[in-house]
Amino acid sequence: MTARHILITGTSRGLGLALAEHYLSLGDKVYGCSRGQSDLRHENYCHFEVDIGCDESVASFFFALRKHTKVLDALVNNAGVASMNAFALTPAKTFKKIFDINVQGTYMCCQKALGMLKKSEHARIVNFTTVAVPLQLEGESIYAASKSAVETLTKVVAKEFASFGVTCNAIGPSPIDTALIKAVPQHKIAALIDRQAIKKMAQPADVLNVIDFYLKPESDFISGQILYLGGIS
Amino acid sequence: MQNIDILQTIYDAIAVANHARDDDKQISLSTETSLFGSDGVLDSMELVGLLISIEESLMDEGCEIALSDERAMSQSRSPFRSIGSLKSYIEELLQELSS
Repeated sequence: MTARHILITGTSRGLGLALAEHYLSLGDKVYGCSRGQSDLRHENYCHFEVDIGCDESVASFFFALRKHTKVLDALVNNAGVASMNAFALTPAKTFKKIFDINVQGTYMCCQKALGMLKKSEHARIVNFTTVAVPLQLEGESIYAASKSAVETLTKVVAKEFASFGVTCNAIGPSPIDTALIKAVPQHKIAALIDRQAIKKMAQPADVLNVIDFYLKPESDFISGQILYLGGIS
Repeated sequence: MQNIDILQTIYDAIAVANHARDDDKQISLSTETSLFGSDGVLDSMELVGLLISIEESLMDEGCEIALSDERAMSQSRSPFRSIGSLKSYIEELLQELSS
């Protein structure tokens, strides 16, 4: 298989870093971004400093990216923020930050990547949602609402981009041991896992498996789908 | 970014689009050609494809502009209703960019 050109957002740590390392190990060319610099050093890795919640920063990023590649085979919208708080106590500033990064960031990247994606034989977009959406978790109202928006965006983009040969799907991981949930108390995580059909903490490899599936050339006919881990539906 | 022939950039993108169109669906290279709307030759996704091609050509020339506009799908006010209006719209954007 020839090297794919894969853009992954939020590659400085956690799942994004694991994704970048995974696709680099497969021989793909990976473009990553985060607010700061990356410690990842690899001949096939190219890092950009981007504020994914700022539309101007994302637009400039894609302008710069085009100087490195004219084609993208996959866009993985991994960058995201979570916030746990009672709905009644969540400041508007937090709401805006979560929606700017999770929703606007995903929207901007999908829109700006289309020109490069449509040149690929098997173009893919993979968005990130969460099991907090189907479980309607208390304390995660704004985070879950932002990811509900991402799910709807995924389904509509799947329809609008189909004529360009671009599929668009989403993965909803169950709790994984990454920075995103480090502030969540252990007993809350345990209670959440207890609501899964398969009661265990997910591993980054579980997410990689789903994204590998979405990215396979044989998955040309898979689009507009939301796949949750852990047997949650 | 200086001295870009906007009309030629549009015509080049249309020429590429014409390759994929049937003989009786070819888009005429004229500023009068209606692109989008009731008598337009493009559906909404074909319009998106054309605009992306133009946007990419302009970016290759160093112009960081976006051809997204809230009036895009308006039948009467869309800047994309004809080749002529599209040319004027791009010129406006480039003017804003350089000012």
